[in-house]
Amino acid sequence: MGVADHSKTTYMELQQKKVYRYVIFKIDEKKKEVVVEKTGSPAESYEDFTASLPENDCRYAVYDFDYVTSENCQKSKIFFIAWSPSISRIRAKMLYATSKERFRRELQGVHYEIQATDPTEMDLDVIRERAN
Amino acid sequence: MAQLAETYACVPSTERGRGILISGDPKSNSILYCNGRSVIIRYLDRPLEVQVYGEHGYPATVARFSPNGEWIASADVSGTVRIWGTRNEFVLKKEFRVLSGRIDDLQWSPDCQRIVASGEGKGTSFVRAFMWDSGTNVGEFDGHSRRVLSCAFKPTRPFRIVTCGEDFLVNFYEGPPFKFKLSHRDHSNFVNCVRFSPDGSKFITVSSDKKGILYDAKTGDIIGELSSEDGHKGSIYAISWSPDSKLVALRGMGLWEMGLMKLIGIYGHVCPLEFRNSAAVLRYLQVMEHIRKDGMVLTVSADKSAKVWEISEDNIGKVKKTLTCPGSGGVDDMLVGCLWQNDHIVTVSLGGTIFLYSAGDLDKAPLPLSGHMKNINSLAVLKNDPKVILSSSYDGLIVKWVQGIGYYGKLDRKVISQIKCLAAVEEEIVSSGFDNKVWRHSLQGDQCGDAECIDIGNQPKDLSLALLSPNIALVSVETGVVILDGSKVVSTINLGFTVTACAIAPNGTEAIVGGQDGKLNVYSITGDTLKEEAVLEKHRGAITVIRYSPDVSMFASADANREAVVWDSASREVKLKNMLYHTARINCLAWSPDSSMVATGSLDTCVIIYEVDKPASNRITIKGAHLGGVYGLAFADERNVVSSGEDACIRVWTVTPQ
Repeated sequence: MGVADHSKTTYMELQQKKVYRYVIFKIDEKKKEVVVEKTGSPAESYEDFTASLPENDCRYAVYDFDYVTSENCQKSKIFFIAWSPSISRIRAKMLYATSKERFRRELQGVHYEIQATDPTEMDLDVIRERAN
Repeated sequence: MAQLAETYACVPSTERGRGILISGDPKSNSILYCNGRSVIIRYLDRPLEVQVYGEHGYPATVARFSPNGEWIASADVSGTVRIWGTRNEFVLKKEFRVLSGRIDDLQWSPDCQRIVASGEGKGTSFVRAFMWDSGTNVGEFDGHSRRVLSCAFKPTRPFRIVTCGEDFLVNFYEGPPFKFKLSHRDHSNFVNCVRFSPDGSKFITVSSDKKGILYDAKTGDIIGELSSEDGHKGSIYAISWSPDSKLVALRGMGLWEMGLMKLIGIYGHVCPLEFRNSAAVLRYLQVMEHIRKDGMVLTVSADKSAKVWEISEDNIGKVKKTLTCPGSGGVDDMLVGCLWQNDHIVTVSLGGTIFLYSAGDLDKAPLPLSGHMKNINSLAVLKNDPKVILSSSYDGLIVKWVQGIGYYGKLDRKVISQIKCLAAVEEEIVSSGFDNKVWRHSLQGDQCGDAECIDIGNQPKDLSLALLSPNIALVSVETGVVILDGSKVVSTINLGFTVTACAIAPNGTEAIVGGQDGKLNVYSITGDTLKEEAVLEKHRGAITVIRYSPDVSMFASADANREAVVWDSASREVKLKNMLYHTARINCLAWSPDSSMVATGSLDTCVIIYEVDKPASNRITIKGAHLGGVYGLAFADERNVVSSGEDACIRVWTVTPQ
């Protein structure tokens, strides 16, 4: 399982230049590599992000979460979300689970990782709690 | 945001053949009792405000306030005593494993330093007295061979402990450290309760042999008894002394405390009354009548009456007044517990009804407070005026409640059968139980009228009424559904799959049947047949409840796999999904009257309210609504949700959408 260069560069753009709010990655079975499926502009919200994830297929996603800490500092943390809904096909879940480590190594600078098997596990409250 | 508006509390759990012990705190005017694993604190002047302590892991048996009102010691069937604070969210002070079996009675010493607990245990440990903060033993209590039903601590120095039990013995211990002094065997049956008088001069034991015996508190010798003339005709289960054994009631002037010459008044408030000089006071005392000079004692018995006795100087108790509770006279009216606190006399019946009498005016009719004793498994809101909430528990009790007032009455049905499902509209109640019958009761005003029983051949699993034509009812059984019209079975249809839940549209033309496999089957009803219209697959567990919205445009379904879904009725498309925030099976579901909100209640004790127009993540969660799980839900109006659960309480929450 390879990682397409485009995936890596898109991630770097999110991390360093902040051109995207989120990036959704998909495994392309024919080319056997991780490619970018969708990106979101910084204006988009968490709801748009959750809406872009398919209900019954797995994905990898990176989300840039902005928040204000208790000491009133504006902070930003990058979340890596392994989206594997329980209603997706077992084959898909296995594929994404085994390739995750290889892909993760390419993404330097991810602050938190979340594995979500249904929408409640990647709820905004969960993200906010992890960040604080 | 949801806030608790009212709590309709449960009643103490009772057992036939045994008394229960309720206690209270005169300063905060509250009473304390146990139901299941909870200890309930109720304020007599604010009956809708109830506090519940649910930290026991086993059913709680008795709880007592410490004499200074700061701590409560509560005990349960495993022999554990927990001491916790009354303020500050019931913070636990200490927990002790006192006996190896059930604890039946618990008493604090008057200086709040020692606690004596009695009950049953293996071998010789039936009673233990220990220091409240360290748990070290303060005496050896041998002398009993069977369960010790009650114990008492002398309220004045020198300290003495008296215990009594099923071996008909009354044992007297001196101390501290407490040692056996003497024993009496004058009763011929279980000795149910022993209590010292507030001034510490005497104590009385009452027994199932219908007698009450008085003893001297310092030496333990018998000095008298309650006279058998006009005495109880059944086992006496509990006894309570009047708060002060030297009260004088002056006709027309209320109660006076002899020593302080202060007017206490009818409700226990101290109102200073000024006299020009003490001679004027004495003149008053001479002229007026001394109605109560000596101690008064209250006893309750299985003969369904409570008696107030006056203990005269020669230590013979004479019945002053017999209080019979207004009731149907059945087994449920046997009185099993009592308490005399300030000016209130509280008696508890086997059926769980608490009667509040006023001690100053014994002829006045008592205030009944009742509720459920067991798991409340369904709730219905009737739209008459005043808006009545009906709750039913599995033992067949249906109770009416009104917001703002609380307990409004019980619905007496002529046949008491257990209830599993209940549906109600303005004029009738349809219920099903654990037998093969469906009962229709017509509601006339406040009471139940005639009942019709319909045998449907199989155990009903779920029941639904077509709200606009309530004659039509859909009952689901294991293998299919039964359609009822009035009291006739229109048809029994075998559907071929295991049915778990069902719902019928208000106009009676459409029905949705949910199965064990999680599929929702939509049928249209023509006459007595069902024609399959669609099968909806989304749920991943057995369907537990299906409900149509009041405006019929939507329906909501919930399953045992913690998920709820809102569908559009016409297109049968999913309208709101991802309602997955419960952590255990969803038991009940309710729509708000304007069809804008859906509330779900689950075994995980939470109630979650979703707004249909907003995504599921904008939800309002009520955590810990009912200890043991939420089993009934209904919307009283747009802003108030009523929930009921395993803890036999009903709570009304006020919801403010964000």
